[in-house]
Amino acid sequence: MVGEKRRSTSKNLAKNKKRKGPHLPNSILKTIANEKRPLNSDEEDDEIDSDDANVDLYEYEEGVPEEESRKNNRYDPVVNYDYELPEDFEDENVESDDDDEGGNSDNEEGEGDVVRHTRMLQAVTGMPSAAFDGESKRKPVLFTEAYPESEFNPTRDVLEGKGLLTIDDFMAPIEGKPGFNDLQKRISRMQKDTQAVVHAPLPKPERERLERKAVKGLVDKEFNKWVHMVKRNREAPTVYFNQNVSLGYSTVGAIASEFQPRTDFEKKMASVLNDNELGEAHDEDGAKLLELNEVSVEDHIKYRDHIAKMRSLLFRHELKSKRIKKIKSKTYHRLKGKDLKKSAMGALMDPEMAKEEAMKQEARRVEERMTLKHKNTGKWAKRMISRGLNVKYDGTRAAISEQLQINATLSRKMNSTNDGSSSDESDDEEELNDGSDQDTPSKLIAKAREKTLKTVEDDEVPNSGLLSLPFMARAMKKKNEEAIEEAKRALEEYEEWENSGGEENSKKTADVSGRRVFGATAKVEAPKESRKDSDNFYDNSDSDNDMEGIENNDLRAVRDTASPVRNTGAITETEKFDDDIENPASKTTFDVALFASGSWKKMKGCQNAETKKKTKKHVPYSKSQDKKESRDEESEDSESEAEQMVDGILTSASKETYEIPSQAELIQRAFAGDDVVDEFEKEKQEVLNQEVPEPEKPVLVPGWGQWTNIQKKRGLPSWMVREHEDAKKKRTLDLKTRKDARLRHVIISEKVDKKAEKLHTTTLPFPYTSKEVFEHSMRMPIGPEFNPATIVGSLNRPEVVKKAGVIIKPLKFEEANPNEKVDDEHPRSNQKQNPKKGGKTGKGQRKGKSKQKTKA
Amino acid sequence: MELSSEDNNLTEKVLPPIEQESDVELETTVKKYLRGEGADLETLKDKKLKTQLASREKLYGKSAKTAAKIEKWLLPAEAGYLETDGLEKTWRVKQTDIANEVDLLSSRNQYDIVLPDFGPYKLDFTASGRHMIAGGRKGHLALVDMMSMNLIKEIQVKETVRDVAFLHNEQFFAAAQKKYAYIYGRDGTELHCLKERGPVSRLRFLKNHFLLASVNKSGQLHYQDVTYGGMVASIRTGKGRTDVMEVNPYNGVVALGHTGGTVTMWKPTSQAPLVQMQCHPGPVSSVAFHPNGHLMATSGKERKLKIWDLRKFEEVQTIHGFHAKTLSFSQKGLLAAGTGSFVQILGDSSGGSSSHNYSRYMNHSMVKGYQIEKLMFRPYEDVIGIGHSMGWSSILIPGSGEPNFDSWVANPFETSKQRREKEVHLLLDKLPPETIMLDPSKIGAMKPSRRKEKQSREEIEAEKEVAIEAAKSTELKKKTKGRNKPSKRTKKKKEMVENAKRTFPEQGHNNTASKKRRIGEDAAAELPASLKRFARKN
Repeated sequence: MVGEKRRSTSKNLAKNKKRKGPHLPNSILKTIANEKRPLNSDEEDDEIDSDDANVDLYEYEEGVPEEESRKNNRYDPVVNYDYELPEDFEDENVESDDDDEGGNSDNEEGEGDVVRHTRMLQAVTGMPSAAFDGESKRKPVLFTEAYPESEFNPTRDVLEGKGLLTIDDFMAPIEGKPGFNDLQKRISRMQKDTQAVVHAPLPKPERERLERKAVKGLVDKEFNKWVHMVKRNREAPTVYFNQNVSLGYSTVGAIASEFQPRTDFEKKMASVLNDNELGEAHDEDGAKLLELNEVSVEDHIKYRDHIAKMRSLLFRHELKSKRIKKIKSKTYHRLKGKDLKKSAMGALMDPEMAKEEAMKQEARRVEERMTLKHKNTGKWAKRMISRGLNVKYDGTRAAISEQLQINATLSRKMNSTNDGSSSDESDDEEELNDGSDQDTPSKLIAKAREKTLKTVEDDEVPNSGLLSLPFMARAMKKKNEEAIEEAKRALEEYEEWENSGGEENSKKTADVSGRRVFGATAKVEAPKESRKDSDNFYDNSDSDNDMEGIENNDLRAVRDTASPVRNTGAITETEKFDDDIENPASKTTFDVALFASGSWKKMKGCQNAETKKKTKKHVPYSKSQDKKESRDEESEDSESEAEQMVDGILTSASKETYEIPSQAELIQRAFAGDDVVDEFEKEKQEVLNQEVPEPEKPVLVPGWGQWTNIQKKRGLPSWMVREHEDAKKKRTLDLKTRKDARLRHVIISEKVDKKAEKLHTTTLPFPYTSKEVFEHSMRMPIGPEFNPATIVGSLNRPEVVKKAGVIIKPLKFEEANPNEKVDDEHPRSNQKQNPKKGGKTGKGQRKGKSKQKTKA
Repeated sequence: MELSSEDNNLTEKVLPPIEQESDVELETTVKKYLRGEGADLETLKDKKLKTQLASREKLYGKSAKTAAKIEKWLLPAEAGYLETDGLEKTWRVKQTDIANEVDLLSSRNQYDIVLPDFGPYKLDFTASGRHMIAGGRKGHLALVDMMSMNLIKEIQVKETVRDVAFLHNEQFFAAAQKKYAYIYGRDGTELHCLKERGPVSRLRFLKNHFLLASVNKSGQLHYQDVTYGGMVASIRTGKGRTDVMEVNPYNGVVALGHTGGTVTMWKPTSQAPLVQMQCHPGPVSSVAFHPNGHLMATSGKERKLKIWDLRKFEEVQTIHGFHAKTLSFSQKGLLAAGTGSFVQILGDSSGGSSSHNYSRYMNHSMVKGYQIEKLMFRPYEDVIGIGHSMGWSSILIPGSGEPNFDSWVANPFETSKQRREKEVHLLLDKLPPETIMLDPSKIGAMKPSRRKEKQSREEIEAEKEVAIEAAKSTELKKKTKGRNKPSKRTKKKKEMVENAKRTFPEQGHNNTASKKRRIGEDAAAELPASLKRFARKN
């Protein structure tokens, strides 16, 4: 503080000087400097600036070296005293009035400052003001620096690191002053007390780091207690939370027994229920209960009022409905009808209603179809149409089309009615019979025939375009032929139907009780008949009716003859079949034969002559060692085979089982061994080429790079060649790494099956980092089919086992047992509870955990 | 059921149990149940995963051990065997000798059924071995209950019958007849006529997948799902006609033997064969698979029988001078081969699982002139059924069948209620056809890396995005005064983005749509003038 003060004063002085000093010529300044020099000759150079400051002189200011100017020597007592000029000292050489004035005024100001300063010092140190008097009397000592000292401009001591302030430094200037000893004593006492210098506090980050370190130690210690538990839980395959947990009440009775009425209502109920009087009444006699069941007057009145009210309501309702019934307004009824309809839509769900509705609809439909009211048959509509007004005017046209629309909707058949299954048919018939008589079917058939004939006839071949190409034409022709064939067949069929129809008709007329014959049965036979006169079709299409009778007769005859034949055929067949089935059964002999290589002994059983023969036949051959090929398995002439088989039952005894292999078989066998290995190798090469294709040969685009001979000679560019070679190398490498690379006789396809790709994982599942480990862990099946029942449970146990409703409490500390090993057989529970009989749930000691759930 | 208990006084002896041996035995069974080694957990860095896997592994070990112990101590029956002392050879033991030693029930399994008229018989057993269907070439189909020897149903279809096969249980069976294959019910009613397959020569049923596989005369392989009747796959083998077809029970892969000496293996989801093996120089006459799926036996017409390891696709053993018309592996791994009227049973004498050495175990000669058509071991019994030209026979082969049945898998004593229950379970557990693959243990594993992977649409999109982003974020150089205008800079940037986009060919349905339209237009142009108005306009 003191220093600062001084500095400020000195600054002021310097300012004043600079501001107020007259400007002297250089020569004069020089002489002044020369005269001054001898005066200060014994002094050190260092003190020049202090000199400057003290002496009120106009002089040339020499550039002072920086380090010197910055030197902080304020606290050097020697400096302070040595260069203090005596108070009576006056410079002889320089006299200046105005300077004096300024100096005086300055001094006065400085005087005031000094007084205040001493006062402050007094207050701080608590010493009498006399101690500071000397100083105050003295002229202030000024130490100047080039720049004011601040954090931006530290002193050199600070910079060099030896700037520790000691108390001595502070004490030195006031040495010998009154009260100094006292102060000295106190300070020395203080020094003794502390014994050490108080260092500056550490920087904040460092301090905090230390703090953290200390805290971490403590926390680590605390946390390490838990490590074993956390580790155990992390590594446990299963964590249990369900051991010995009682969930409290087990029965409804138990819950009810502890019921205490709490609310008013409950209390009231309880009082009634537990009423002794009632109980007694119940126990003793029913009569008393009646007494207790008395109805109060108020209740009775209430009930009566209620009934009266209801009655009056009913009466009013009746009145209202009567009034409504009387209303004759059409609009009202229309609106009402609409409402009803709307509600009826909902009612349609009701089957009765729906049926009724359907009936109505049907009636409307019938009416519509009979009258054709909306089919523009009216006078007006006819007129409109005849005059062509419907085209002219939009309104008319709209009206007519609306009419048609109505007709369409009305005459549309209702499909939704369920009981219309029979009516459908009848409708169809109705439609068919609509305005036509009995022989409509024949007409229809005639129509169909006509159409088919038409199609058959007009098969034009286009003369131009794609279809005129020869192969197309051929194909068309073929198709046409097929179509014609089909058409013919169709025609025959029509004929058939017609005939049958005619027949039926004739039947109806002739004998009603006759056998009904349908076309389907005669289908197979009929074509032959009709084919005969298929040529006549084109001519006789009109005169069918004439033909009908004859044909019918013929057909009938044929049918009559055919069916018995077929029947007999079928019968014979079935009989044969039966024989087939029966015969083997009879021939099947369950013979237990103890056969040594040579002997063939029959023990017992029903022996057929054939089998006997056979055995005899075989015996002589048995010793011979020929291992001839057995008879061949396939013989294609199965028809003959079948025949043989049918006959075989009777004749097979003589049949030899050996069969000479067919020619094709023999040839196939004979040439089978030809060059198989080479072929296989070729095939393998093919497969390899397909699966690992050879790289394409590099080719230049024709014309490119072939302008000159030099270019031609150079050949392909090097990068192409290189690329090609790389590809080749890669291919050989690929071939070498194939599974079948070393197996000449094997081709193993390495095609990727896309469908099977979904059976593989594309990435490793989370905790795994290596493929091998994952695949090894997958090798064992864990299902009950593959493991003993005792292990299946532990193999498939979920990660967390808990009972529903169990509260999982946080982990509780547990002493570590270093010798403990996790045992899977005896699951260690994380929640231990003292089982309490009927106790409340929460009270048992639990050791739970929540955060450290293991996850695989 | 088994022979061993009765047979020990003459030719067979029971070995006294030795402690060490049993330990070794237990270990081997444990290994079997462990289904391979556990992963090396030391390489894992994740401690949590490590401990969890370790505990899992421990459980697996425990499970395997229990299973092994159960197998050792609790299973009710032991496998039968033939043992001779001194110079006696097992293949000299005849059926008569065995018949003297076995119990009544077993001796009932030696019989011949003589049905001379309906020609060589094909046989098929249900998975439990309870029922058998016999199909005579000349149309005789017989469903027999093997336990009670009751003929359940017998029908005469009056057509050539080439093969018969049971579906998932005895309620249904399929027969390959002259023109079509048919499915019949237990009571002989025809349920379905499978016309789509054409004239089928061989039928096999894949019971885990509910697929009825068949190969027809033109060498087409068909897979039909019998649950809903859909044709799952129809594959042209392109190798000509074949009647050698077998299913690998381990993985459901169907093997076909061809005249060129190749055996091809197929699955329904690929049109190309999974594997083609050149097994014989001549035609392949039959193929059989070991129940564990690792071994395949083939026989060629050049009188050689070969045994193959399907894990390496290498030949393990060749047996010369032996041509088998039909081959069959038993549940315990015995191999039966039938030629002419002679049946030979080969046994694996090495005992170890790694090296196989099949050698003669038993012989049986039928009456001369009986041509063996089909051999098939009866499951869960020491019995082999022989279908031949004069009916069918059954002989005892000690040690062929699995002594203990697992009712989860197949139950010979199944009640009808159980059967119904089982049927539902089977249907629920039905495997989709794509699960048929060479190594089914790879299901659920990582997708095998593809060599040349075609990028999916999303990936291409993502790449395009990245490229565009990169183009947008490139810093443009500061050019000279005239060229550094903001308008020029933006133009340049736009150009760069466009270039980045252009490197990714535009894909999408726009192209196809336009193509379609073009096709429509073309069609319209080509139509005759009168029909042009009917051409679809869009």
